[in-house]
Amino acid sequence: MKDCETIRESIDSWLDGELNPAESELVRAHVSSCSDCSEVRRQLEKLQLALKDELLVEASQIESLLFWREFERRINEKRSWPMELAARCRAFFATPQIAWAVPAVIVLLLAALSLDAVLPWWRFGGGRNNFASVESIDAYGRSVALLRQDETRTTVIWLYEDQEGENEAAEEATKSGPAF
Amino acid sequence: MQPSDWDLVKKCKAGELSAFQELVSRYHQKVYMVIIGLLHDREDALEVAQETFFRAYRKINSFQGGSSFYTWIYRIAVNMSIDAQRRRKRNPLDFRESMDEVLEAQNQVAKDPFADVHDRELREKLTKAINDLTPEHKAVIVLRTIEGMSYKDIGEILGCSEGTVMSRLHYARKKLQDKLSAFL
Repeated sequence: MKDCETIRESIDSWLDGELNPAESELVRAHVSSCSDCSEVRRQLEKLQLALKDELLVEASQIESLLFWREFERRINEKRSWPMELAARCRAFFATPQIAWAVPAVIVLLLAALSLDAVLPWWRFGGGRNNFASVESIDAYGRSVALLRQDETRTTVIWLYEDQEGENEAAEEATKSGPAF
Repeated sequence: MQPSDWDLVKKCKAGELSAFQELVSRYHQKVYMVIIGLLHDREDALEVAQETFFRAYRKINSFQGGSSFYTWIYRIAVNMSIDAQRRRKRNPLDFRESMDEVLEAQNQVAKDPFADVHDRELREKLTKAINDLTPEHKAVIVLRTIEGMSYKDIGEILGCSEGTVMSRLHYARKKLQDKLSAFL
């Protein structure tokens, strides 16, 4: 039989039901035959009960509806109008009943845009012309170029990095020192 | 049949505020118990409990159900309480005053013909003894007390192993037993 000191290390885990069956049986057998360890068990149980009572007394004073009203006031107060709009949009699009509509609309739009390949008189999109555009997309010299050739119905999208911008960014990094 | 927590979370994600209200009504007392156990100040505990649910509400879309909802909400509550406690440590005088108010209020709650002086004293001493524990030791003992949470769940909430939970619990209980031996 294990000595009291070793058993006492495990009494609380045993009471918590966290020991395996063999260990549990060992502790149970010892505690039932040892008055000192039985006293430790009683103290631990009383401690647990006293703490639970204390927390329950505190928690019982929280009124559910009042708590909720305060919470509701807080969310209404803290939500600015852009957040509110975003939340409403998210809620609208996340509704399962209309979730199928999003891919359906995309497919319909793509189909409408592709129809001019087979129907020459179809001018969905207002009669596109040749088009070229270059846009800078960030502060590191990255740009995007878009070329559209209407006759061949070809679109080229070209993402590239401006060497000058890159050097500026590198210089900035050198000035600010190493990043850890 | 009552909807599961996960069903309610899904409804919250779809924007149903009433689903979150149901989650709040299920957990607000238990969350408050965790926080009051860590902070021992009603006003602060209520504020932190409100903030806990507010944060959960804002982050509900990032909750993927990898753990149970209650593990997730308790984790938020514990982290926020520990933060609040660290902030409050900068002003220990305020803390002492608020703790005395709690003790006084507890005495008032216990004022019924059957309340026994010995138990009241035990509660007072217990509050003080718990307060002397570190936040980590307080957290394990409070979480274990509420619904007898398993070591695994406590470990998930606190981000530590089951073995660590076991040793922290053992240490915390030993400390409390030593301090309260005359009242147990």
